[in-house]
Amino acid sequence: MIEDIRALARELLEKGTVECVIGYEVGPTGRVRPAFVYEPADVERLIFDARCYHNLVTYLTRRNKPRKKGEEVPTTAVLVKPCDARSLQVLLNENQVQRDKVYIIGVACPGMQNADGTPELRCTRCDQRVPLIYDVLCGEPPEVPAVTDTYDDVERIEALPLEERLAYWLGELDRCIRCYACRQACPTCFCSVCEAERDDSLWVGIADRIPEKAFFHIIRAFHQAGRCAECNACEAVCPMGIPLSLINRKVAKDVAQMMAGYRAGESEEPTPLVTMLTGEEAIDEIH
Amino acid sequence: MSERTSNQVDGFEPKIVAFLCNWCSYAGADAAGISRLELPPNILPVRVMCSGRVSIEMVLKALMAGADGVLVLGCHIGDCHYGSGNHRTVKRIPLLRRLMTYMGIEPDRLRLDWVSGAEAGRFAKITTEFVEAVRALGPLSLPLREGL
Ligand code: SF4
Ligand code: SF4
Ligand code: FES
Repeated sequence: MIEDIRALARELLEKGTVECVIGYEVGPTGRVRPAFVYEPADVERLIFDARCYHNLVTYLTRRNKPRKKGEEVPTTAVLVKPCDARSLQVLLNENQVQRDKVYIIGVACPGMQNADGTPELRCTRCDQRVPLIYDVLCGEPPEVPAVTDTYDDVERIEALPLEERLAYWLGELDRCIRCYACRQACPTCFCSVCEAERDDSLWVGIADRIPEKAFFHIIRAFHQAGRCAECNACEAVCPMGIPLSLINRKVAKDVAQMMAGYRAGESEEPTPLVTMLTGEEAIDEIH
Repeated sequence: MSERTSNQVDGFEPKIVAFLCNWCSYAGADAAGISRLELPPNILPVRVMCSGRVSIEMVLKALMAGADGVLVLGCHIGDCHYGSGNHRTVKRIPLLRRLMTYMGIEPDRLRLDWVSGAEAGRFAKITTEFVEAVRALGPLSLPLREGL
């Protein structure tokens, strides 16, 4: 598979179809990291295996502007796994990325692994092995495991008494240092000025204290409602080990339940939170 | 001293922030006043142009700044002055109620309902009901509030 990826990347760069190929490489410390390849001679750096957990779609919104005034937006090729492709679909739906400026190299996903070789939790729940959207597919699609996501992790919290839930979240969120790594890693968190990081914000202060931290996390999760593709990039980068996926997945579960099974990035429809009622919703009694 | 559950505090008067849409619910509130209906004094009205304007930031800020409950009132579905503003509200507020519950805050501290400009009685009924519901829940004591 990697030979296919490299050959394709070389061809795209040589022909000038794209300016840059975003993929993965092994860094100097032996860890896998994102790679930005601009020269055909450099394609040998590219790798792909079960350590390539990053969601490279994050970099596309930042490249969606001309280098200099009057120039065209550069064209970029990007490697996407099925979860990454869902977040790319969200960006396309929201016109944050131009379809003709991105060349999508889909990879048949073997499932990502933790450092100790065990499968990543999100991958044990994932029922896609081929991206829903791509220009070229690399690799042989492995068999799709028959899994259904039961949201058992979310249900475990839902089953706790109210006071225990509050105590649990205050404890977890208190560790947050507001480094915003989660926000930066997220492909669908692309505001140029984040309302949580303004010193003149009307709503949430920038202090590193529990009220502001909890506020930040609730709005972050809510802004991702119907948009989070559950790629887990946020949780993967958090230096404090905060279980962000538990919040994102709670919202995703409720959105699916209330909005006729809507799942982010699986259609060209934008998040139901910005569209009109269709009559198919099962919204809770409003009072 | 009479027996009371831990939630009930003697002499507790809930503080309620009510976001009222300009075109229906604010007019409804006005009509209730003009008709001299009895209204609970616990309500702090905030006029917004449309219930669709009530972002979750506004609700959270109200709760964290000291409100015990937040009421969002808008035009009935189909009557929104801007066509579909309340279509968003009706998705957003229930979703926030679920997330609040997940985080450990009683969902009944947040209520969404519809009041048209002519429904003075309905405005009085909803506000009274909501104040009583929040009174029963007791004050919202969030360590979250420290320093805010
Ligand atoms: S919030 Fe986290 S899991 Fe969701 S799309 Fe962003 S990075 Fe991925
Ligand atoms: S990455 Fe972790 S510590 Fe940093 S802001 Fe996000 S949740 Fe907080
Ligand atoms: S104007 Fe009343 S809800 Fe939109």
